[in-house]
Amino acid sequence: MNNKFDALKDDDSGDHDQDQGSPKDSEKEKAEDEDKEQNTSKKKMVVPGAGEHPLQYNYTFWYSRRTPGRPASTQSYEQNIKQIGSFASVEQFWRFYSHMIRPGDLTGHSDFHLFKEGIKPMWEDDANKMGGKWIIRLRKGLASRCWENLILAMLGEQFMVGEEICGAVVSVRFQEDIISIWNKTASDQATTARIRDTLRRVLNLPPNTIMEYKTHTDSIKYWRTLAPHTDNLCKSVRIDVLGDDESREGYLYVDSHCVI
Amino acid sequence: MSTDCQKTTAKAIPSTRRVTINDAAHMPHDYSTTPGGTLFSTTPGGTRIIYDRKFLLGCRSSPVAKTPPKGLPKIPGVTSPPSKDTDEKAHNGELLNNNITAPDSSSSTGDDSQFEMDI
Repeated sequence: MNNKFDALKDDDSGDHDQDQGSPKDSEKEKAEDEDKEQNTSKKKMVVPGAGEHPLQYNYTFWYSRRTPGRPASTQSYEQNIKQIGSFASVEQFWRFYSHMIRPGDLTGHSDFHLFKEGIKPMWEDDANKMGGKWIIRLRKGLASRCWENLILAMLGEQFMVGEEICGAVVSVRFQEDIISIWNKTASDQATTARIRDTLRRVLNLPPNTIMEYKTHTDSIKYWRTLAPHTDNLCKSVRIDVLGDDESREGYLYVDSHCVI
Repeated sequence: MSTDCQKTTAKAIPSTRRVTINDAAHMPHDYSTTPGGTLFSTTPGGTRIIYDRKFLLGCRSSPVAKTPPKGLPKIPGVTSPPSKDTDEKAHNGELLNNNITAPDSSSSTGDDSQFEMDI
């Protein structure tokens, strides 16, 4: 039965890459995908299998890990981030989830990202660039449970903010773990407040939990301040800088200041 | 005469509804429907397919949900068989990947395959 759906996917292949993102991004992504056998054909239309429970949106799991010991300036955020796969139904979600390690058991400096299909887990994606994220810092030992509750709420459309949700990230760091949920419009206070309240509810957070909202433009500015030389670097290169950011630690995406 | 002027008690608007499926026949016939009708046309942003946590967790036990997805990239220490399944399969001396087709085919029904043929 899977094979039949794969045939479907093949029919629809071609341009997975959303209109969003620069052409360069798309090329990169394509090149990367071709490396992974099979991936291209099953990229765009993942559909729910017969009898499965469809989700409101298709989603894609991503994984990233900072390569230890490599000169950071040669690292590309996009190269470091790997697609695990996309799904369209509750059952398909569990297939991936059950075959992925729980974030609390990840080692090193790693992130899981779960974004709507077509949205890259990057600030610069069209869906994200006007957006922001709620972040919650967790002491060690809580990440797996919180992550599960967070993504189940997202997949089950518990946030009730229309199209606003873009995706969620769990970041495993040295002393703490961080979960975040990204939305499209940082300036929409009704939406961000509703997301915050839903987060509190679904994560069952203690009342004194600190929740922080960060706009992606602020995140980008922050990195530019720390790494002013990046104006000299071409697109898609991310520079390691001192400091720490929840999901994007050590990388800076240089967007429009490309001087080759 | 009419003393039956009773007050109705206020109830919260249910945001989710839980439906247990015990038989494939209870499944909806198209993708715009969820079992028991979890479709809301009045939520912000229009019609949404809503599932609560308990329902989603319940779906985890379906055989389809347990098979490894096709094309799952092998990332050491990241993508791995679930521990429960590993134990089971390891017991049978099988690799988890060898089981992709078995549970899958058992879960499909005759009607479904015909439908898929049309596509």
